Amino acid sequence: MYFITHVGLIFFMYPTDIIESASRTHWVPIFIGMVFHLVFIWIYMKGLSYFPGKNIIDIYMEKGKGLSLIFLIPIIGYFFLANITTVRAYSEIINIVFLSETPLWATMIPFLFIATYIAAKGLNVIFHTAFIVACVFLPLFLFIFILSFQNVDWRYFFPLFDIDYSFISNRSYYKSFFSFAGVFLFLGFIQPYHTYDRKKVLLSAILLLPFFLFSVYVPILTFGQATSATFQFPFVTALDSVYISWLVFDRITMFFLISLLIFIMIFLSLLLWMVSSILVHFVPIVKHSYVLYFLSILIFIICVMLPDWKVVEKLFWWNTYFRFYVILVIPFSVLIFGVRSKRKVR
Amino acid sequence: MGEVSKKVKKRFKNYDDFFQQETYLYKEIVEIMGFNTLINIPKTKDILQEYTKSVHTPDMTLDDFLKTIGEVKEGNIDDAIQSIFEGKLIICSNKGQYVVVDPIPKELNRSIEPPSNENVLQGSQSSFIEDLETNIGLIRKEKTSEKLCVNSYSMGKRQNKKLALLYIEGNVNKDILSEMQNQIEKNIKKELQNQQDLSNILGFSPWLTMSKFHTSELPSEAVKMLLQGRVVLFIDRLPIAFILPSLIWDMFTIENEHNYPYPLMILIRVLRVLGLLTTLIVPGLYVALVAVNPGVLRIEMALSIAQSRQGVPYPALVEVLIMLLILELILEASVRLPKSIGPTITMVGGIILGQAIVDAKLVSNLLIIILAATTIANFTIVGVQNSLSIRLYKYLIVIFASIYGVFGLLAGMLLIIAYLSSLKTFGVSYLNVNLERDVIKR
Repeated sequence: MYFITHVGLIFFMYPTDIIESASRTHWVPIFIGMVFHLVFIWIYMKGLSYFPGKNIIDIYMEKGKGLSLIFLIPIIGYFFLANITTVRAYSEIINIVFLSETPLWATMIPFLFIATYIAAKGLNVIFHTAFIVACVFLPLFLFIFILSFQNVDWRYFFPLFDIDYSFISNRSYYKSFFSFAGVFLFLGFIQPYHTYDRKKVLLSAILLLPFFLFSVYVPILTFGQATSATFQFPFVTALDSVYISWLVFDRITMFFLISLLIFIMIFLSLLLWMVSSILVHFVPIVKHSYVLYFLSILIFIICVMLPDWKVVEKLFWWNTYFRFYVILVIPFSVLIFGVRSKRKVR
Repeated sequence: MGEVSKKVKKRFKNYDDFFQQETYLYKEIVEIMGFNTLINIPKTKDILQEYTKSVHTPDMTLDDFLKTIGEVKEGNIDDAIQSIFEGKLIICSNKGQYVVVDPIPKELNRSIEPPSNENVLQGSQSSFIEDLETNIGLIRKEKTSEKLCVNSYSMGKRQNKKLALLYIEGNVNKDILSEMQNQIEKNIKKELQNQQDLSNILGFSPWLTMSKFHTSELPSEAVKMLLQGRVVLFIDRLPIAFILPSLIWDMFTIENEHNYPYPLMILIRVLRVLGLLTTLIVPGLYVALVAVNPGVLRIEMALSIAQSRQGVPYPALVEVLIMLLILELILEASVRLPKSIGPTITMVGGIILGQAIVDAKLVSNLLIIILAATTIANFTIVGVQNSLSIRLYKYLIVIFASIYGVFGLLAGMLLIIAYLSSLKTFGVSYLNVNLERDVIKR
């Protein structure tokens, strides 16, 4: 679950941002991002482990309604914006890559419809769906991922140690955290329904490393840094260059993209489910599913209203503030509450 | 003639298969009555006489004898009438007392035969029949265990339909079992004739497109399911075991595959999974590639498809739907037809119609191949009801694919997966992979 939602997020925006942010030795920003990511997951899970059987909403609610508002509203904002940008960005991608004649609103409908449908059925269904989807689509995905190395020229890997730290001051680098931040919060929501093994989560996070790494390096190794910086979706373009003589299909990119899109839909349904479950907590009179329908219609309207890609990018950037709030504040606050409540018990 | 027998006779005056005979027991006249369509009269009489000899003691009278064979009743004939309808025999003495006895029944069941809907390649050939007791007996024979429990219910307002619930104690999850039992007892007055009634009694929605029961007519299959901790239901006069909860993996597995070497078993199962995927994807893929995303195909392939579609006057979606409809009609017809005409219709439908429709430029060549593959793949799936559901789902995918191309194809898949994972039977998800770990040991 953790794995596939991430995979879905990695391959579009992440390479663009990283390639934009650093001109060489791309593995440094990737590793820094990764370490950052692991540390915060660990803190978050550590904090959550002080509250067995409770989700993050319960934890904040215990501390009073005002405090919980302060903590949860940014989360809602973050999820909401993430939802909008994801839906919009990915339907944009679909339109660019293969449905050039379909209007944008029409590609958004299946996205939101299916995500809402899954979310309305509850968390268990999201998990089961994710599991089966992984069984069906992951082999396809891995197959194509391996194929993407066809045109690789390993000499582009160098220089390895001429480290350039300018990425830290680059805006794009912070945008790239979208790929990290989106998912891990759900660990805080699933507690009463599911238990998870902390080691396994960390392990799957580490397993993601090659995907992060190669999503950036495959386009660079194929085209070189200067060329790949000009593409909007470098990895997709790199895939397009692959040619396999024994395959019926000319553009395997499509299947790759679509299997990623399927993962994204699951991610969306997870986001929707989380937002609506927070909202239901504040307004308990309304039924969960109505909140969901309302939300998805709202998102749909906003997505249609956005005029062009630049606005989406801007939204994406605004969301970065929320994102860092989410990455930094939530894990730490949970940890602090956890430690304090443990002391009280003593 | 006694008071009782007069009343009974009056009640049954419109039933010509009702018989009333006088016979001697202990030198006294008694009357026996029942339906001659349900009771084997000569044999029953013989047994009765033999029985009188076997329990004979010097000072035994008729009254004593009647007491030994059943509960002696007097006056009220409602019990007698009800029992006659159930196929029992009434022995009525001159004093107006009567006893209800189980007679030798007329042989109204077929014998145990090889299964007619589920072919078994190598394995136990016996299948369930219409008689409930025989079915339970078959299971007991297959699995001799003191833990195999049977609960019987009489369903309906007049309580005349028998329902049996089988489980293996210790294997089954107690919560699920008791929930099921409660549900049956709560609805015990509802009529029960078929699977729809049963799912109504168990409180399932009637609008499910995927059956919540896994049905089988093989005792070996039912026993395997019992051992996995599932519950088996039998309705009297239906030669099928209804197994609950049904899981997605049942679509791909048959018990007697365990008679093959392990790798072969796995390969066969993989084949079925592929069959499922083919059925779902291939027609949709055709529509997507022809109508929406021809660019995905290699150029030579795309051209040859376009060539074969030359002169076809309508869009790919309509083309596929027409051919699918015709195929469904052929399938349905071949189920309905007598066995002797079946092959003819296959020939006419499959070969002649297929060839002619291509020659007439109504559909493309490729489509015929695709539909044939789809239909064949469809029947690799285990279980008639499962393959029906899959047949339905493929239309959803075709329609999605016609709108959104390859993306719609996979989105439709996702939707189906989500639908299946939202199905729950007594708290067990349909997509549960490891029943033992997740449910039984819970």
